[in-house]
Amino acid sequence: MSPESTLYKGKTGQWAFVLHRVTGFLVLMFLLLHIVDVSMLSFPRIYNEIHALYGNVLMRLFEVGLLFGLVYHALNGLRVIMIDFFPGSIKNEKSVFYSIFSLTILLTIIGGFIILRPFFTGSVH
Amino acid sequence: MSTAERSTTRPGSTPNRRSRQNFETWSWFFMRISGLILFFLALIHFSLTHIFHDVTTTTVSFVAKRWANPFWRVFDWLLLALGLLHGTNGLRFIMDDYVRNPRKRAAVKAFMYVLAVALFVLGTITIVTFKGNLAG
Ligand code: HEM
Repeated sequence: MSPESTLYKGKTGQWAFVLHRVTGFLVLMFLLLHIVDVSMLSFPRIYNEIHALYGNVLMRLFEVGLLFGLVYHALNGLRVIMIDFFPGSIKNEKSVFYSIFSLTILLTIIGGFIILRPFFTGSVH
Repeated sequence: MSTAERSTTRPGSTPNRRSRQNFETWSWFFMRISGLILFFLALIHFSLTHIFHDVTTTTVSFVAKRWANPFWRVFDWLLLALGLLHGTNGLRFIMDDYVRNPRKRAAVKAFMYVLAVALFVLGTITIVTFKGNLAG
């Protein structure tokens, strides 16, 4: 789209924008897949079998990635909304971006620990 | 329309451009409002299914218990609808940026709209028709 749709990109840094775009895209791809796997609820046995896959280590790592993408996109989205609706409300855009990124990393580590814990305690394979 | 206004508008494009601009303003606004709502819906949903419960326990009977309460059906349906609308509209921005060939762009967009509508129908049917007690 023309620059109107991405007006904020020059102001707050190309990285924030690129990462917002990549995470938005990946979360959408997961949503599309997730709608299909949940639709198997009409076939309970197949649903449970497919769903058991989410417990394996690779899928758990993938879920940690999804957590990172979702949290970053959500927090950065709020930042974009603040800048657009309340111009001037964010004084130091750079440090706000670094705070958001650090908070994303922190929440991903905490959430990742909880998601991966069953793997370390040996209750999944 | 006044002469002054007409002189600043590109010839042959007036009505169309006006409605396109209205749509883009509306779309810009929608991304922000839906983003605010999704902030709660998506993060609560992820926390419930991955943090407060282990993902391996989210079986058919888990869903049956949750969806026995209409609140959660409405919650999940809103997440489905807003996530698809917000995500597909976002994907439309991305296609506008990267797919420069007009014919290819139209084809890619047509494909993604059809896919989004199909998945919206599939998801809605799943949420509306689910009868939990079958599975135990
Ligand atoms: C969790 C809360 C969310 C917030 C606060 C949020 C916020 C935003 C905002 C404000 C934009 C517009 C950026 C712009 O105009 O350039 C945007 C774009 C986008 N969002 Fe979200 N969003 C959220 C969740 C989601 C979800 C769940 C998905 C996937 C289904 C998603 C996918 C996208 C995509 C693909 C874009 C386009 C990115 C681009 O143009 O570069 N978002 N989001």
